[in-house]
Amino acid sequence: MFSIEPNRRDANGAGQEAGSNMSEVVLQQAASPSVVADRTRVLGRLALVDRIFRQATRAAAVIVLVILGGVIVSLVYGSLPSIRAFGFGFFVSQSWNPVTENFGAAPAIYGTIMTSAIAMLIAVPVGLGIAVFLTELCPYVMRRPIGTAIELLAGIPSIIYGIWGLFVLAPFLQSHVQPALIAAFGDIPVFSMLFAGPPYGIGMLTAGFILAIMVLPFVASISRDVFETVPPVLKEAASGIGCTTWEVMRYVVMPYTRVGVIGGVMLGLGRALGETMAVTFVIGNAHKISGSLLAPGTTISATIANEFTEAVGDLYTSALIELGLILFLITFVVLAIARYMLMRIEQKSA
Amino acid sequence: MNATAHAPKEPPTKVSVRGLDFYYGADRSLKNVNLPLHANKVTAFIGPSGCGKSTLLRVLNRMYDLYPGQRAEGEVLLDGENILDPAVDLNALRSRVGMIFQKPTPFPMSIYENIAFGIRLYEKLSRADLDERVETALRGAALWDEVKDKLQTSGLGLSGGQQQRLCIARSVAVQPEVILFDEPCSALDPISTAKVEELIDELTNRYTIAIVTHNMQQAVRVSDYTAFMYLGELVEYGETDDVFNKPKEKRTLDYITGRFG
Repeated sequence: MFSIEPNRRDANGAGQEAGSNMSEVVLQQAASPSVVADRTRVLGRLALVDRIFRQATRAAAVIVLVILGGVIVSLVYGSLPSIRAFGFGFFVSQSWNPVTENFGAAPAIYGTIMTSAIAMLIAVPVGLGIAVFLTELCPYVMRRPIGTAIELLAGIPSIIYGIWGLFVLAPFLQSHVQPALIAAFGDIPVFSMLFAGPPYGIGMLTAGFILAIMVLPFVASISRDVFETVPPVLKEAASGIGCTTWEVMRYVVMPYTRVGVIGGVMLGLGRALGETMAVTFVIGNAHKISGSLLAPGTTISATIANEFTEAVGDLYTSALIELGLILFLITFVVLAIARYMLMRIEQKSA
Repeated sequence: MNATAHAPKEPPTKVSVRGLDFYYGADRSLKNVNLPLHANKVTAFIGPSGCGKSTLLRVLNRMYDLYPGQRAEGEVLLDGENILDPAVDLNALRSRVGMIFQKPTPFPMSIYENIAFGIRLYEKLSRADLDERVETALRGAALWDEVKDKLQTSGLGLSGGQQQRLCIARSVAVQPEVILFDEPCSALDPISTAKVEELIDELTNRYTIAIVTHNMQQAVRVSDYTAFMYLGELVEYGETDDVFNKPKEKRTLDYITGRFG
């Protein structure tokens, strides 16, 4: 129970002194025994609710660890026959022969890394460009529609990217883009190797393109969100010494948001590494490493998706599971590197 | 309020605000404001929250331009040139009219880079010249002795008062003509405040200064001229001594004696 008594020292102020710095709060407290007993009961109940809540949230957190551990254990257990049969050779062998049961993961690992690299090479600059445009340059009325469109892009099921890639993008690349690339880079060393061979349409490059489109929304929308966390006053300060929009972005917004942007890029990379359906459609599924980006290849997830139903022998199944384990390790390493980089950056700026 | 009335001993006018109206969307937050900023003098803007003092300050370097839906009408002459003209180069304007904010705003880079960054925008200097300019700027902001051994560490690691002086050094390094202070001490402790005020006093040798403050003692201490604003109007403008000792308007008297606000 309390009452507020404004202290009217200068009553001539015609009520204008309502600015509360003049008022005083007087607290009067009655502490009769019955009130104390009531309160103890209520507090006891609250403490019980608190304990239940704590245990419930802890259980939720523990479940994550259990699931993660379960996945690792079952992957390792499932791939044991393959590990025993092929050993380290599994990583370097290019053969994939279900009849003689001789398997190697090199083409799949190479394809996974290569397609993801192509995707990031395209998606990161474009995604950052979109984010900069949306936060700094875009006319106000356009922001919502473009932002929403990008988020919708992330919501399109990957199977749709797959059929679109196979029936629309691949023929288009085959008839227009790939011949041009072959013609343009044919005489330049290194590049001539990357863009060699007939234009198949489907292949590593096409898969990289599709992945870039799929990863783009992640990079763009996360970058936009973190760009928006930059305090306006910091941007004003940069503008205030005469920076152009580019200079504000390059020297103030980017360093300020580096950690978040890298996080967004890594999330995109994680998706690119693991993406299955769309890649399976357009990569060509050839178990060999070729220097040319135009040639068909395969990825870990595409191999698994394509062959799980027809894997008959134990060793065949085990080899596929070991592929899964390798993919798991690759994504784990990528995330670990990302964490480490973020830690280094934070230490440096602290 | 009437600048031409006190005639002869007036110092030259650096900035002249004439018939200024300002709109946030449909809200009119400045109403026909007229006042001069005299060269190498400190002009303080005082008034209760929401009276338009910060808005007025943000007009002087067109900071409001960063946001859609905000517009100013009237004239603001900087050395006779109307800066509200859409053709004005904003980056050039802001290099001439610097701004210090309520909260310190060091950039996410080293102390050295915070200063060098602004200089590099306009000039290509050798390493040695740049070092010298950075040192001069930091000395100018009375910060050199405190940071000279850790120039390469992050500007974010400094205390609030040091950060604010770093921001002042950064502004000064660009060699502006006018510096705008938007409540520069409201996030600082009394000792840092004293240092910043001392600094403002020294800066008047070279710059024209406008300062928004909620602290009336501060206005008295640092300013030569004071403008009292209320509800978007300029109620009274004059020499600081006159405004505080013999205000012409009752509203000014009420505000400075703490009757409202």
